[in-house]
Amino acid sequence: MSFSIEKGEIVLIVGSSGSGKSTLLNMIGLLDHPSNGKIFIDGVDTTTLDDNEISSFRNKKLGFIFQFSNLLTDLSVLENVLLPRQIGGTDGAAEKEAMDLLNAVGLEKQMHKRANKISGGQAQRVAIARGLINHPSIVLADEPTGNLDSVTSETIVQLMKSMAKKLDQTFIIVTHDRQHFGQVDKVITIKDGRSYEGEQPSGMEVLA
Amino acid sequence: MILVDYRLKLAKRMLFNKKGSLIGAVLAVTIGILVIHVNFVIFQGLFDAIVRDISNYRNGDVLVTDEADYINKSDLSIVSWFERIPYVVGATPRLSSTAEMNMTKNGKLIEETRVPIVGIDPFRDIKASTVHETVSEGNYVFSRNSIVLGSNVAADLGGAEVGDSVKVLVVDRFGEDQIRRFTVSGIAKSPGGQGFDYTAVVHIDTLRDMLKRPGDTGSFMVKLNDPSKASEVKEFFLRSFPNDDFLAETIEESAEEQLAGFRSGIAMISMIGYFGMMSSAFAILTIQMMLVNGKTKEIGIMRAIGAKRKDILIVFIFQGMIIGAIGAGVGTAAGLGYTFYAKETKMSFNNSLPLEVSYNWEKIIQTALTSFALAIIASLYPSYRATKLLPVEAMRTV
Repeated sequence: MSFSIEKGEIVLIVGSSGSGKSTLLNMIGLLDHPSNGKIFIDGVDTTTLDDNEISSFRNKKLGFIFQFSNLLTDLSVLENVLLPRQIGGTDGAAEKEAMDLLNAVGLEKQMHKRANKISGGQAQRVAIARGLINHPSIVLADEPTGNLDSVTSETIVQLMKSMAKKLDQTFIIVTHDRQHFGQVDKVITIKDGRSYEGEQPSGMEVLA
Repeated sequence: MILVDYRLKLAKRMLFNKKGSLIGAVLAVTIGILVIHVNFVIFQGLFDAIVRDISNYRNGDVLVTDEADYINKSDLSIVSWFERIPYVVGATPRLSSTAEMNMTKNGKLIEETRVPIVGIDPFRDIKASTVHETVSEGNYVFSRNSIVLGSNVAADLGGAEVGDSVKVLVVDRFGEDQIRRFTVSGIAKSPGGQGFDYTAVVHIDTLRDMLKRPGDTGSFMVKLNDPSKASEVKEFFLRSFPNDDFLAETIEESAEEQLAGFRSGIAMISMIGYFGMMSSAFAILTIQMMLVNGKTKEIGIMRAIGAKRKDILIVFIFQGMIIGAIGAGVGTAAGLGYTFYAKETKMSFNNSLPLEVSYNWEKIIQTALTSFALAIIASLYPSYRATKLLPVEAMRTV
């Protein structure tokens, strides 16, 4: 499969269960290695990077939002948001930026709580803030609403869309819950190991 | 908040949020250190107590003898020479032999053969030795016909008591039997039996008369106020009498034969202590492996958001350092507490030899640093295992 994504786009990857959506996302996120082919992000062939370069690349260029938020429960909400920045080598503005992001996702009053003391929806909002702290090229979200009720899911979707617009941030979102996302810039459907642009496989492979 | 390295902060949080594991690991280090301290207090304390008693009762800090078995120089000249040295508390002549003894108790004659007998100068001996302090009944030797019996000699003579009359036979230098009657002035019994419990003590001039050795002395024991100056005093003495055949030895040299076996025993006990510490290291390794297994998901998350393998390694090595530092602190404090208790209570076992307890700071610091280092070493393998986890698989862990 072959496709390209422009800066600031919100792209949905959809497909039936087991179609390889998450595997594709993990490869874009450098969490998995493709057996063949190449993945270019910001002009860098990520398949040629060694382990340390991959870690640095993930830290600086990619943000992650997982289905189960995956926060570090030993840390506070604020510390979780700060963590990617600290891993990359912190700077004086980090804490203020993290607080601003928590304000933006509506968690300014929860920032000093332990990450295991907040609700699932709040944890997902923390994960969004954490995904954005390093101003990544792409935020990758794997079933970000998969573990939430429909009201909370709607809130999270709107939050991601508003952040994408506000920060001109690229989002690649894997979901099986297409209708929650409404209008997006691009939809890629995975079927039988192939990618198709649009809601339904039309038989035409997207090359970009 | 940002000033603290995030890996240290994370290591601390992960550890302190698993209090059971933290307490277990710290206890392992603490017990390892405590074993070393207890071993040291008991066995080194016992060794030092034996050295102390040999020094106090028999050899002093410096023991002077003569290659020709007997010293011919007068007591006064030798003692006066030593007592001019500021480090010297006292010097006293001693003369030794063996005797046969008998006494009649309750109408029954009891004989005892091959009893060590020591002649002492009662006025000088109490300055250089503490044998007189072991006389639990009666008095130390105070006249030419008084005798102090060791508690075991007194028991072998059928329960000799102060005031009893004892007949003593020695063979003089010409091979003739010399018999004299003494009155028991005291019974000596030392804690631990390192004193004159198996010996009879008489006036040195009486023994010289009996042995037909007027003016002869077997040895001089010299007591110092600072035992560390023993070598200096010994060398000075030998330099000052170049034309005599004197031998002078420090307590370490004169008691070497008695202490050699004990020394290797202590070395073996120390090794057992260090094996105990190794066991603690294995306990830490196990607990750290459990911590790594319990934090698999967190490791995956960290790797996913950009932490390098090195960062994961450092987090768990920091955990080892925290365990080592707390364990070394608690263990050293507990060890010092035990040492303080043993010293203040003049600890002894079954009312025997009171231990000579000391604070060996070099050993204390060495033990603390060793356990700290072992805690870190024990954390290396679990830390390495943590770095090998793949982010996607690790994050799937529930």
